Amino acid sequence: MGMKQFEGADEEFNLEQMEAETEQMLRLRYITKANAVFERTKGGFVALDLTDADTKETEHYDRIRVVRSFPFTDRNHYVSIRTIDEKSKEIGMILDMEKDITPETRAMLEEQMDIRYFTPIITKIHSIKDEYGHAYFDVETEQGPCKFVIYMNSSSVVNLSDVRLLITDLDGNRFEIPDFTRLSAKELKMLDLFL
Amino acid sequence: MSKKKKNGNMTEQLSEKLPAHISKLLKPYGLKEELVPAGGELLIWTDIDMNDRLEFTRGYLVLCKERLFVLVSEPVPGEVHFFKGRETLATKTQTVNREWTVKEHSLSDMKSMKIERTVGGGCLVLTHKNPEDEKADGEAETIAFFSNHHMGSTTRVERICEKLAKNEEIKPDMLEKKDKEEFCPKCGMMYPDTNRKICPKCMNKKSILFRTMGYLKPYWKRLFVMMLCFLMTAGLNIVWPYLNGTVLYDKVLRHDPDFLKLIGIPGGSFVTALLIVVITMVVTKIVMQAVGILQGVLTATIVPDLVKRMKTDVFSSMGKLSISFFTSKQTGSLMTRVMSDAEEVTGFFIDGLPYFLINVFSILATSVVMFMMNPVLAVSALVFMPIAFLISWRMLPRLWHRYGRRHRATRSLNSRVNDNLRGARVVKAFGQEESEVGRFDKSNERVRNADMAVMNYDNKFSALYSAAENFASLTVYVIGAYLIIRQHSISLGTLITFTGYVSQLTGPMDFMSFFFRWYTNCMNSAQRMFEIIDAVPEIQEKPDAIHLDHIDGTVEMQHVTFGYEKHKPVLKDVSLKVKSGEMLGIVGRSGAGKTTIVNLISRLYDPQEGVVLLDGHDVRDLSFETLRGYVAMVSQETYMFMGTVAENIAYARKDATRAEIVRAAVLASAHDFICRMPDGYDTMIGSTGRELSGGERQRISIARAILANPKILILDEATAAVDTETEQAIQQSINLLIKGRTTISIAHRLSTLRDANTLVVIDEGKVVEEGTHEELLAKKGVYYKLKELQTKALALKGIE
Repeated sequence: MGMKQFEGADEEFNLEQMEAETEQMLRLRYITKANAVFERTKGGFVALDLTDADTKETEHYDRIRVVRSFPFTDRNHYVSIRTIDEKSKEIGMILDMEKDITPETRAMLEEQMDIRYFTPIITKIHSIKDEYGHAYFDVETEQGPCKFVIYMNSSSVVNLSDVRLLITDLDGNRFEIPDFTRLSAKELKMLDLFL
Repeated sequence: MSKKKKNGNMTEQLSEKLPAHISKLLKPYGLKEELVPAGGELLIWTDIDMNDRLEFTRGYLVLCKERLFVLVSEPVPGEVHFFKGRETLATKTQTVNREWTVKEHSLSDMKSMKIERTVGGGCLVLTHKNPEDEKADGEAETIAFFSNHHMGSTTRVERICEKLAKNEEIKPDMLEKKDKEEFCPKCGMMYPDTNRKICPKCMNKKSILFRTMGYLKPYWKRLFVMMLCFLMTAGLNIVWPYLNGTVLYDKVLRHDPDFLKLIGIPGGSFVTALLIVVITMVVTKIVMQAVGILQGVLTATIVPDLVKRMKTDVFSSMGKLSISFFTSKQTGSLMTRVMSDAEEVTGFFIDGLPYFLINVFSILATSVVMFMMNPVLAVSALVFMPIAFLISWRMLPRLWHRYGRRHRATRSLNSRVNDNLRGARVVKAFGQEESEVGRFDKSNERVRNADMAVMNYDNKFSALYSAAENFASLTVYVIGAYLIIRQHSISLGTLITFTGYVSQLTGPMDFMSFFFRWYTNCMNSAQRMFEIIDAVPEIQEKPDAIHLDHIDGTVEMQHVTFGYEKHKPVLKDVSLKVKSGEMLGIVGRSGAGKTTIVNLISRLYDPQEGVVLLDGHDVRDLSFETLRGYVAMVSQETYMFMGTVAENIAYARKDATRAEIVRAAVLASAHDFICRMPDGYDTMIGSTGRELSGGERQRISIARAILANPKILILDEATAAVDTETEQAIQQSINLLIKGRTTISIAHRLSTLRDANTLVVIDEGKVVEEGTHEELLAKKGVYYKLKELQTKALALKGIE
């Protein structure tokens, strides 16, 4: 791998290197079609070759993680490309998914994010029943009918905006209502407890 | 006894067979039909719930020694997907004819198997190794998708694969399904919370009712008198309209001679009769008032006492619970509600239940009396009762709903204000007063709207309800008047008696309409209470726990693996040892698991694997008295209880003399600042008292530890929150404190750990380096790096 090894216990201590590392941490690096080549791997992931503007050195990543900085409020800007290991360091950031990268790359990255941000959309509420500190949901989603349970506390149902709700079940599965004002009066009444 | 049963269950789960229809699918791959985990080739299996197109469906992961099978079915349209708490044994094992896809993955070239977590689930990623072709080495592919519902079981697959990849031995206990029982044995429904085994379907409300009644036992004499009072009130309520109507108007005012004979007044003296009736009426009213007062007095003597008893029960049970019970979120909010629950329950049993009985009695008795007096009028009076009942039955819950919303809006407004007040410095510093007003306004508007909704609905309800009431009395008047004028079948007195009854009936009707809701609320409250009272702490003292009179203070951890959440280990296979009287320093970046080690040593939690030994005894075998008596902790978070400084220092040893307290304070270099305070050692501190600085609080907590005189001392970032100068002072106190004790000190400032006999460096839950200060420096590893970094950083600032 072309990536420089900063970590490692056997290596001699080098303050300069460490400072360089810190400096890198403080710098926001933008990824555009000019300096980056994304490529789909055989296993369905995305690899990246990134050329540094100053050093002209190319870093290669076998696999990258694609993360939205504003998953709820701005899906197409500030998309962070990170390493796949546990530390998940930022490699760089795509400022604008529309302008900064090619449509092919975009599709490739969106595919990765679709997996990461998979959230069933609730289209209809059949019933909500609360009992002993839990609320029992019976809903229709774009993924088919779902039955789940949430804790009766304020963090289980979060207002993402004035009309958008994010519901988190006991295990941390997420469900979304994009616009609750579009629900019927009957459904709204059931949901009223959480609004 | 209970232990035996548990073991029995465990073996049962261990031999959980792979469903037959899945075994059949695997037959072509050379697997035997009756697949039993840990019995042969099959290691473990789990169900998953997504296919690779991210659609919900049924699937299985079947892990064998050499290969992993992923079975996914085509989604069946309209099929319901069940998540935690909704799954039942029936839905879990339900088999529909589906189309299955089986994929076999060879594990012979497995480099790693990792779960990549997504926001609501995860995917299993298999990385291959290929030493011959460098390019193909480390090639990764996603082989399965699942929601968080199956995260626990897939994590086990991940862990076993990790062992397989490293060619490590797989212990049989890793294959055991240690999960708690998840399903209600009665109806097969999944518990929403496996820690609280309450099946919403099978919860026996009756048993809760009777159990709560048990609390009333000591008061039975007073309760009996109370019931008598209620009965008398109800009886007099029937008598009063009769006296006031029939007797007064029909008998006395209409000069009924039979009446005089009945009460034995000769000579037609109706004035005397009137006098007697009036006196009777006055006496009745007085008796009614007296009974009411008596009943009030009795309530006042029972309720507070009962509430106090319940609260004490709950609080003492809370103390016994393990720390994990308090830190887990849902139980945390449970706790705060429990205290008000005691009042709710008591209120119901003292006010609600007796009233209910009396009201049933009143309604029945009044109706009977009315029918006996005049059936036609009785029917016309009662016909509106069901309507009134229906109105409140339908409308009251909605009214409450609105009240609830107003309550929530007010609460959110209050927290907004609170937020603003606590952040006042920041608000002012950034000049955001105006935007804060805007934010406040938004919440405030919500309160106003909620309030308006309440009033609106309340008015509607009152109007409708009183209309029904008025119609009832109006009907009685109209029909009554008609009967008097036209048919002469009743008298004026009867009519007046009837209207009296009608007005008395509406109250009980109203009550009945909300009684059932009150009952459910009370049962919920009682259930929460009993849940705390009955909760079995995870950390329990063994019945035959060893009590040690003297300990040397050797602490050892052997291969400890632990995570606060079962499938997220914080410590991985950690071993360390401190000899008696020595000092062990633990170094590592934040989040590495240092504090977790301390939590395990003081047995706030038990390790999932491995043991913690104190003087060679497993801490789980030692009595709490031994454990807590010999271990003391000074941590970064210093907590001051409400009370005086002296009380806080003597927190762990209530019997300490003043001399001892002062000595401890002197040793902790706290004496000086304590004496400078106007009230000295009697200064009130804690949440209501004087504010102390971080250094002052730290010194008091050191004094607390000195006074506790523990054999084993744990310093958890004891000086992290104070400035360098204070740190120096505190360090001296600590040096005094650690003499002759086994000390475990956690710090990220390495200078604090200079005197440690051994140091361990923890990173990502593992011990990465171990040795003395010199040894570690010579190693030029992580410790060396940290040390260099800190000295250089300090040098830059010109501190050292």
